[in-house]
Amino acid sequence: MNAHQQAQTSVRAPFGQRVRDWWNGLNRFQQWGVLIPLVVLIYALPILNPPLLTTEPGTDFQIALFNAARFALIAIGLNVVVGQAGLLDLGYVGFFAVGAYVAAILTSPDSALRWDYPWIAIIPVAVVVTMATGVLLGAPTLRLRGDYLAIVTLGFGEIVRLLADNVTPLRGQRGFQDVGRPEGLNADGTAIFNSSDGTPWYWLVVTVIIIILIFVGNLERSRVGRAWVAIREDEDAAEIMGVPTFKFKIWAFTMGAAIGGLSGAIYAGQIGFVNNQKFDVVTSVLFLAAVVLGGSGNKVGVILGAFVISYVPDRFQAIAEYKYLIFGLALIVLMIFRPQGLLGSRQRLLAKGRQAYRKLLGRPEQIAKESAMIDSAKGVQG
Amino acid sequence: MALLELNKMCVHYGRIQALSDITLHVEEGEIVSLIGANGAGKTTTMRAVSGIRPLSGGSVVFDGQDISKLRADLRVVRGISQSPEGRGVFPGMTVLENLEMGCYTRKDRAAIAEDFERVFDLFPRLAERKSQVGGTMSGGEQQMVAIGRALMARPRLLLLDEPSMGLAPQFIQQIFRIVKEINEQGTTVLLVEQNAQQALSRAHRGYVLETGRVVKTGTGAELLADPSIKEAYLGVA
Repeated sequence: MNAHQQAQTSVRAPFGQRVRDWWNGLNRFQQWGVLIPLVVLIYALPILNPPLLTTEPGTDFQIALFNAARFALIAIGLNVVVGQAGLLDLGYVGFFAVGAYVAAILTSPDSALRWDYPWIAIIPVAVVVTMATGVLLGAPTLRLRGDYLAIVTLGFGEIVRLLADNVTPLRGQRGFQDVGRPEGLNADGTAIFNSSDGTPWYWLVVTVIIIILIFVGNLERSRVGRAWVAIREDEDAAEIMGVPTFKFKIWAFTMGAAIGGLSGAIYAGQIGFVNNQKFDVVTSVLFLAAVVLGGSGNKVGVILGAFVISYVPDRFQAIAEYKYLIFGLALIVLMIFRPQGLLGSRQRLLAKGRQAYRKLLGRPEQIAKESAMIDSAKGVQG
Repeated sequence: MALLELNKMCVHYGRIQALSDITLHVEEGEIVSLIGANGAGKTTTMRAVSGIRPLSGGSVVFDGQDISKLRADLRVVRGISQSPEGRGVFPGMTVLENLEMGCYTRKDRAAIAEDFERVFDLFPRLAERKSQVGGTMSGGEQQMVAIGRALMARPRLLLLDEPSMGLAPQFIQQIFRIVKEINEQGTTVLLVEQNAQQALSRAHRGYVLETGRVVKTGTGAELLADPSIKEAYLGVA
């Protein structure tokens, strides 16, 4: 069945499903044919600065793009925890903060612990420290489930913020100036990575996002990913299938923490300044809103969600002041009419099963559509 | 030596004692039924055997080894697998993916392929619906998925928790026939049921639980003939 027919036969299927069917209906070369121009376009955005899309004069477009990309990276990380493994984390900003602070402490001249290593060497340190924080938080708390876990993570986010407020070496509101950035100079001797030009930062984050997407995508299709889906859908059942649930929950937490820490470290570099003002609960909730809005469990969806959450207030300055009100209302409306988010996760299909099915029938799998319901209804009658 | 032995097993939920001194054994090749009213502790017994619920006393011995402290996922590797109460089918996964979860701990591909065949033989309905999502299936079909999935672990001991719950009478018959068939193919079965008539008539032996204690035991036929059991569980005055 080719893409065109597919689109026609499933006119009434939800938009996300149609996009997915269309995408799965393409062969490999066609997929690359769509993907490569798309990626080029994404990279070219800050240079094109398209008239309708641009956020200027209110916000510098390149900086707005960088912030949207940074949000997307965070959303991808949080999606591993919330969307894949189903662990509601309300303190994700804590990991983001740890990453930012580690980068600041290791590179800022205000810090006694400053290293003279290149920026690229600092990033892995920030990631590893954040992962360790993830294990530290996860080990005692991941025995809890659902709402209880959410409350504990909420507490974690606050603890990190309060530590930043009150521990003297972390310098409270004074913060750390001149946080390290990637090296490199332009032809005219100015630094490539500086706080006023968003473009190189945007390219950096987009590149990181692509790498992380490939990595997370592979993880999803692996045994780890299957275990996460099983845990999300029914933790007890997963356990009696022989899934070491605790271990895999820690894994999800640690992976999420690593990505959060990475984006924190990059963010600290771009802003060039880290203090205790940017890591409150509201930020955590905003991260979560990006995931839920875009479609928890769907990588492309959460990127879209992050883009909306970050870009819309920059683009429409007039409503920026009311953004929490508007996002709140939007989320309520969305939960009523489309609880799975803008691009819902198909939840189900682990790519493996899909491929097996595809080999079997020579066409992409169609699942959870009306046809399945009708079949089962018939089955009950007959 | 018995395949499974419970020695004075106790389980608490907080301060409430759900099981007190449960002692029973299951021999290799048997079907053993646990019957009892709501709240008698049948499901708790199952959860304690599969390792989801910790013991507060006594021991679980499987194949001669004390597994009381063993994690649930490692018990699956040892050969205990469960079809849980309420089926526990992964609602977003297809039938095929649910069955794949059943062999999560296994790597012997050839044997896994055989087991897929076996499950599809036992439940032809599942073969027809490989790609249907678990959550959209009827109760009876979900029960088939749950039992099939448990078999995919190639267990030595299969724990079935209320396989007849909420099913239409013809489905109940079918499920019990299949349980018998599974047992005849060599899998030991520990069965929890409220449907005492069916459970006892198919079982080699049975135990009657009342408020967390074993109050009676005997062969299936003996228990079926017991006047007090007839009155309490079979609805015959």
